[in-house]
Amino acid sequence: MSGVTPDELGEHAFLRGMTARHLVVLSRASWEAPVRAGQRLFEEGDAAHRFWLLRSGQVALDLHSPGRRGLIVETLGPGDLVGLSWLVPPYHWQFGAAAVQDTVTFELNAIAIRAACEEDPGLGYALLQRVMAAASSRLHATRVRILDLYGAPDAAQDRP
Amino acid sequence: MTVAAAPALPARYQVAGRLAETDDTVTLDLRPVDQPIPPHQPGQFTMLYAPGIGEVPVSISGTGPDLRLVQTVRAVGAVTRALCACRPGRMLGVRGPYGTHWDVAGAAGGDLLIVAGGIGLAPLRGALLTALGHRDQYRRIVVLIGARSPQELIFVRDLGEWRRHGADVELTVDRAAAGWAGHVGVVTQLLARVPVDPGRTTALVCGPEIMMRLTARELLALGVPAARVRVSLERNMRCGVAECGHCQLGPLLLCRDGPVVSYPAAAPLLAIREL
Repeated sequence: MSGVTPDELGEHAFLRGMTARHLVVLSRASWEAPVRAGQRLFEEGDAAHRFWLLRSGQVALDLHSPGRRGLIVETLGPGDLVGLSWLVPPYHWQFGAAAVQDTVTFELNAIAIRAACEEDPGLGYALLQRVMAAASSRLHATRVRILDLYGAPDAAQDRP
Repeated sequence: MTVAAAPALPARYQVAGRLAETDDTVTLDLRPVDQPIPPHQPGQFTMLYAPGIGEVPVSISGTGPDLRLVQTVRAVGAVTRALCACRPGRMLGVRGPYGTHWDVAGAAGGDLLIVAGGIGLAPLRGALLTALGHRDQYRRIVVLIGARSPQELIFVRDLGEWRRHGADVELTVDRAAAGWAGHVGVVTQLLARVPVDPGRTTALVCGPEIMMRLTARELLALGVPAARVRVSLERNMRCGVAECGHCQLGPLLLCRDGPVVSYPAAAPLLAIREL
């Protein structure tokens, strides 16, 4: 693990447009964290004390239940935020997450950043906008998946 | 890109090979018995006739040696079920080729982005093979394939060869169990990460209309010029020569003016509830 500069953080798609002052605050609670393929980042129900910004590689959000193989809920790639629950009380992960391939991340200390947001609502609002954008995008994608995007239309009969 | 009309009489083809792609989708390798149909362009379709049962439009997925046709059929009705059940040796009738094509050559000099949903990969396979055959004429060739599950992906056996010939191929599914190495999510989520220059990209999109609409909307938001987005539309093609009117979609007769349509022409038609 190594520290991250404000400039490096500011280049990540999730944080693009953040002010230099806010990037400095975030960089104090961030470090670069490579994750090997197969390594788990967190488990469902665990406390959400950290979150990650993906620089390369791929991470799968998953769900496990007794007697069934693990189900992949969604995969995330470069530019994506891993973890929404760190900003939503009671700060527990709703899913698990594991690296599908060797992955490079910026790991952030959620406890420190939540505290910084309490002190500086401007930082909180800037982060909330970005987390909401990620959540909104995933909600949209989930809705589209519910529509069964690739299924044949109701009227399909003997078409190419 | 309209091409000359083909004869209306079916040519006899024999099933030379049959490959089950998924539970309900089969790829047929068809060998001409007599005079083959005229040459086709990627994106065009034929009318496939199962003797005694009926005729349906089926896109052409490629060609084989000896002027063979490769056509992929999904069983959704009586005729397509009969076609999917065909074993090697069975005779079929083929009319065509009909309709417009992808104009793959028109994408030369830029990036080529192919986005397929479900069986929508079938009409795009020929376009991809054509582009890979002239690999040096394109910058990036990127193929994004979406399906409900890994078991419903078609042409899986081809993916390695496409990658070896210079295509970036990404797969995404709606549902997958642990161990799946591709993406899980909708195909539109991959677009933002695609390594192409939007202003120099030609996008060929085929799948269910709702998928094409969402994909095209995302492509435009990324900066791909609307005129460089092409989609493949389908309706109830019957005659193949724009005479019967069954395939009318607004001002278009899709057996002649489609199936490949530029997005500016298709966009107003994709949002209409009943047409």
